[in-house]
Parts: sequence; C-alpha cells; structure tokens
Amino acid sequence: MLFNSYEYLIYFLPLSLAVYFLLGRRATWAVGWLVAASLFFYGWWNPKYLPLILASIGFNFAVGRALHRRPRHARALLACGVAANLLLLGVYKYADFAVRNTADLTGLPLALPHIVLPLGISFFTFTQIAYLVDVHRRKAQEPSLLNYALFVSFFPHLLAGPILHHSEMMPQFASATNKRPQAFHLAAGLFLLAIGLVKKVCIADPLAPIAAAGFDHPEAIPTLTAWLAVLAYTLQIYFDFSGYTDMALGAARVFNIQMPVNFNSPYHAMNIREFWQRWHMTLSRFLREYLYIPLGGNRRGEWRTTGAILATFLLGGLWHGAAWTFVVWGALHGCALVCLRAWERTGLHLPRVIAWALTFLFVMVTWVFFRASSLPAAGAMLRAMVGANGSGEAWAEALRHALALDPQASALAGALAFAVGLVVLALRRNSNAMALDFRPTWPRGAAVAVGLVWSVLQLGKVAPFLYFNF
Amino acid sequence: MELPPLPGPAVERASSRWFAGVLGATLALLGAAAAFVVWVDPFQQYHLASRYPPRFYFLHHRYIDPGLAKNQVYDTVVSGSSIMENTRNDFVARVCGGAAVNLSMPAMSASEQRLMLATALADRPLKRVIMVLDFNEFAGGVDERQDVAGPLPRYLYDRNPFNDLPYLLSWDVIVKSWRIIRGDTSEKFTSDPNAAWFWGNVVRFGRDQVLRGLDIEHLNARYQQPQRTIDGMRASFEHNLLPLFRGHPDTEFDLVWPPYSILVWLDFAQRDQLQVSLDFKRYVFEATRTLANVRITDLQNDAAITHDVRLYHDIYHFAPAINERLVEATCKGRSRVEAGTVDEFERQLRGQVTEVNTPAGLAAVIGAPDRATGEVTR
Repeated sequence: MLFNSYEYLIYFLPLSLAVYFLLGRRATWAVGWLVAASLFFYGWWNPKYLPLILASIGFNFAVGRALHRRPRHARALLACGVAANLLLLGVYKYADFAVRNTADLTGLPLALPHIVLPLGISFFTFTQIAYLVDVHRRKAQEPSLLNYALFVSFFPHLLAGPILHHSEMMPQFASATNKRPQAFHLAAGLFLLAIGLVKKVCIADPLAPIAAAGFDHPEAIPTLTAWLAVLAYTLQIYFDFSGYTDMALGAARVFNIQMPVNFNSPYHAMNIREFWQRWHMTLSRFLREYLYIPLGGNRRGEWRTTGAILATFLLGGLWHGAAWTFVVWGALHGCALVCLRAWERTGLHLPRVIAWALTFLFVMVTWVFFRASSLPAAGAMLRAMVGANGSGEAWAEALRHALALDPQASALAGALAFAVGLVVLALRRNSNAMALDFRPTWPRGAAVAVGLVWSVLQLGKVAPFLYFNF
Repeated sequence: MELPPLPGPAVERASSRWFAGVLGATLALLGAAAAFVVWVDPFQQYHLASRYPPRFYFLHHRYIDPGLAKNQVYDTVVSGSSIMENTRNDFVARVCGGAAVNLSMPAMSASEQRLMLATALADRPLKRVIMVLDFNEFAGGVDERQDVAGPLPRYLYDRNPFNDLPYLLSWDVIVKSWRIIRGDTSEKFTSDPNAAWFWGNVVRFGRDQVLRGLDIEHLNARYQQPQRTIDGMRASFEHNLLPLFRGHPDTEFDLVWPPYSILVWLDFAQRDQLQVSLDFKRYVFEATRTLANVRITDLQNDAAITHDVRLYHDIYHFAPAINERLVEATCKGRSRVEAGTVDEFERQLRGQVTEVNTPAGLAAVIGAPDRATGEVTR
C-alpha cells in the first residue's frame, strides 16, 4: 500500500489509528494490532512476500537473542546474521545483475532468474543489520518478539525508511503515554502528512512525465530541453522522496512516535559532504556507522580514508539499485568527497554562491546516472546537455518543448510544479522545521485542509486509451 | 529520540479543536466532491444519464463500459475490440432479438474481455454474447494488456462502492461533471446510447485509406502487432474465456472470427504467424465443440468482404456495413464453423492467403505497383 493512495489515506490510516488508541490501555493488544496492521499494509501489494518478511523478522530476532545470551560466540553469530541478511538482499535484489554480468564476462548463456524485488527489502534488511550490530555492541537488546516485530514492520518506515535505530524507537513504543491520543501530536502529524502529500502529488508527480519524456529520448532532445528534463528530475526525486518521508514522519507522529529526520534541505548544501549530511540522512548514518567506520573511517591515514570513502559510496550506490548506473553514481559522489577533502587541505575557500552552485550542479548532473536506464542512455543525456543534438532553441521554446514532450501530461501542472518546486527549494524553512515549532493556527489549518483535499483529488487520474491513430 | 514536548494544556485544547476542525473540513469537502460526482455520474456508474444527454467520451471505453454493463437494460452483449465499435445496439436487437449493449473497447486483451463480460454476467443473466475474437488479444501472458490501452480502472468493474474512490474523488471526474452541469461541450464525446462508440461516420474507408503509409513487403511495420505463440494463445483462452463459457451454461456465446482484410493474413504470412493463427482457430473449435452454449461463426474466408479493400479503413478495420453483415451472419446461423465445415473453411482461407502472397494475387486485391515509381495503382 502506498501512502499516496486512497486506500491508505481514507481507510487504512484512520482505522489503524483509531483501533490502536482504543486498545491503548492494553499495551500488548495495541502493539499486536499495530504489527498486524503493518503486515496487512505490507501484504496489500502482494501477500506472497509476507512469509519473507516474517521469516526475516523471526531470524533476526533469534540471532539477536543468541547474541545477547552467548557473548562468547558473538562474533560468529553476528557474521552469520549479517551474512544471511546480505544473502537475502543479494538473492532478491542482485541475482539478475550478477547473472547478467557473469554471462557478459564469460559468454555463457546463463538464464536470468527474474526474481521480483519485494517491497522495502533494502530498508528492512538494513534496519535489522543495524540492530544485530547494535546488539553485538551492547547498545540494544529486545526480549519481546512482538516489540521487535513492531520495530521492523511499523508501517510508516517499512517501505522507504527512514532507517531506524532500535534504541531510538523502542522506548517510544514502550511508553504507555504514547498509546493515548495526544491532540498536539495528532495535529502536528496531520500537518506533516499534508505537506508530504502535497510535495509528492502536486510537485513530484507532475514533474515525472517531463523528466521521463526527456530521459526516454535523450538522443533526440536539444540542449536546453535536456537541462530542463534533468532539472525536472532533480526536483522530482527530492519532492518525491522527501514528500514520502514527510508522510512517514507525519503518520508516525499521529501514533505519538517521532522518527528521525531524513531530509534537511539537501539542495542548500555548500559542498558534497554537507549534501550527504542533508540527503537521506538515515542512510548516510547507516553507511557511516556500519560501513565507513568499520572500514577504518578517517583515522588510519589518507589512503585508507580514501579507500573507505570510495567503498562506502560504491556500495551505497549499489544499494540504490542493481545496475551499473547506480555504481557510477555512487563512485562519482565518492570521488567528489575525496576531491573535497583534498581541496579543504589547501585552505582555500570558494564564495558561498559559487560553492552552492557547484554542489547543486554536480548533484544535478550525477542524477543523470541515477535516472538513466543504462550507461549508454546516461551518456546520450550528457551529450544532449553539452549540445550534441543541437543547442539553438530559445528558453521559452525549450520550456514549451519540455512541457509538451509527453502528450498525456498536463503542461500547466508541469509548469506550476516547476515554479512551485523551485520556490519551495529556495525557502529557508523546510517541513521538519515547520513541524518542530508547529502551532495549531487556523490559517495553517485552512492550508492543510485545502492541501489535503486538492492532493487527494489529484490521485485519481482519468487516462483514456492512448492510441487512436489506427 | 523523543517526541517534542507537549506545549501545555491550552495548546493541547487548541490542537484538539484544530485537528477536529481540519479533519472535519477535509472530510466535508471530500464528501461534497463525492456526492457531486454520484449525482452527475459522468461515467454512468450508478445510474444511466437521464438529466442530461449521456456523454460517451472519446476513447474512455474502459471507464464507461462497466457503467453501461451495470445500468443499461439488455440481455445481449456485443464484445470485441475497436473493429466492433461500429455496431449499433438497435441493429443487434432487431436482427438477434432482445435488447443489446455494445461493450467493445479498443486494443482489448483477453483478460479485459473476461473482466468486462464477468461484470455484465455478474449483474444479470444474459441471453446471448456476441464475442468477436481478435488474434492479438491472446498475445503475451494470460493477463497481458497492451500499453496503449492506458490504465484499467478495475475498481469500476464491480458493485463495491468502497473501492470507487478513484472515481468519486478525482479532479478529472469533477471537471467532467462540472462541464456537464454547465453545458460545456468542449470535450470530444458522442451522445447516442445506441451507438456509443461509433466512429464509422467520421473516418474514410477505401483503398487509399488502407494503403496509406503501408509497406506492402512489411505490413506489420505500421501496426507493430506482437508475435504470438500457440501455447500462449491457448493458455490465455483457457484462463480467460473458457471459464466464462463453462460458468454460464444458460448464456449463448457466439464466438466470431471477424473478416479482416486479406492483407492481415498476408501480414501473418510475412511474419510467420499464419500457422499459429490457423492452429489457434482449430484449437478454439476443438476446445468448445462439446460446450452446448458456444457457437462459432467464421467470416475470414468470405472473399466478397476480405478481398474488397474499399470496405476498409485500414487492413483490420472494416466499414459499419460489415459490422451489420457480421451480426446478421452470427444471429442467422450463417458461416457457422461445425465439424462438417471446419476443414473446408481452413482450406479456403489457406488457399486465399497463398494466392494473395503472389504478385498477381496481391494486384488483384490492391492493384499493381507502378514499375517506375513502385506506387500501387489500380
């Protein structure tokens, strides 16, 4: 079930919330209900994958308990636990990629297994790897299977994060106060959910066809149109992911649960390190704590640090998707961070505007690899951006061209999304800041009601038969 | 990590009022929107249009057909792809008896045909279903749909109002409803419930139309139809259609092989789909011959139609007059495929394809190409 769906917004969220608070006086029942609701949420897409997540939860809970009870075998248990999680992720996410590359390298006629990627597997696997490492480090322990199941499956973070630490969630789940409705958190959660829904539905979604149309035909679009398509994607991916995260944080907040912030105006970053401190922050935290630091971090000399950075970003890129485009994207960001460290050692400083522009431009250009269907397609898009397909069109013409690339998309919605997206990006305060000092004022209430109604009405698009030139 | 601290009882009380007010206003506005859509009901999901002339929006078959299936009065259904859209309900009723509704949809797949007919059959007993079979609808997997068909609003294909939210709470639908109220006719639609999807009066038919943009050596270059396999087609037929026949023994299913132009069969021959297609026809006959409620009509070897390109808009789509001949043949029991005729029908068709696959045979159908320009003239 998606957050931006009727069934979630109209049926699932209100019902699961109401029953949770009704059962609030009986903690076990309330937690049990929330686990059941979360599993229903997960199974809505395809119930076939419910046994997979249940097995994953059961296995990691058992390994966690064993780690706690048998400290003498902890290293071996941890290695087994982490390896099993990585194996699961490898089979479901990377099997096709591995087989395809093996076949390409060896020339063997290997058949692709075509395994469908279960929703959220990257997130719930990383969450549980972090849990096992934390148990090993004596930072976490969980004696209750039900509580552990809630920690992993709690629906607001299940499909797209944030990636949680056990220690930051379990005290909140255990709190009796949090199982009673609290109007302030209900209001703040609704506010955040509305912001996220508007970001996703009213900004990200109308930009998607503009970006898609450009990326679908990179060999045919002129320079400015190519830049507009890449800018559209730059806005789309931010508003899509951060909007989804806002909805997750809002949904958790109405349950009186505070989840960690995942985006903090990343496009305001002045350098690439700052970008990663602001973009998908819980993934950055995970990679730093469970990969970069174990690889040596920055305490074992410059070469080791460089290696750790590159390895972290290569694997971070691969985590985003099983394709060489993601590996290249990760490598470019890793290289940029290495370059930044070298630049910082010179003691030179760029003017803030130039530092921001360089960072934004770099992030934007590297999104080409993230979005392109293949490395050749990414190359074609980059060539289009430097004028390989012609560069004579005027800005106004390019904008019209970009907006009309997809005949099914609304040019007005696309243009508005562009404009609103750029304005929102420029705002100093982001949704987290607004939620942090939330106050229930009526102008804000009116904006939330209008935003919710307008976004919900945008979910049900009527798209007729496309092919009429028979 | 902790929740932000509660700011005090006064803010808690204000938050309570705020939450109730915002939620109430949101639900009230959404409820009003849904009520407005139910009242106008532009896709006729809850009632047929009576306060205003119905609007059969251009290419919105997949949205409106389920409404017609649920609310129109009929006992006979015409089901097929775009080639059947030019079939008028009253003509079917006159020739076949009863009351008919045309639930055709362009680029229809077998799974969509099943869903559409299951919706109609769930609602009422049907006397007859005239079911035109397109080879392409059985391409791909059993649930395959053509990309060009756009999304399928499955939520409209049942009587459950709780899954209708994408219809009830859609800005697109509200705009359509508002335009109806205002009498705004800026959208493209027809209003004749007797011929909801009829396009035969707005396009041209004839040889020039058929040959427009056609590469005679590679006929599929223009149409880009998918390759089919006999196993895939059989699986789709068994999964999608056979259960309908078996599950509704009191409904008569008239399966019809439509009279494409002979150029379609030339295309099949060009891309090695001829034998697959003939095998599939044979399979359908064998699979249904023991079912008393299924009959097959075959017009594909009727050279008076299929060899006369003046009757076509393109190699697949024929003129409305042919729709009428198809309905007449079906309901009057002509061109019936039976144990005694199946071999002869196949032999005739195979012979016609062999003949048209020669320069002289092709010239007899479309004219001869000019030696100098390569252009086909007649």
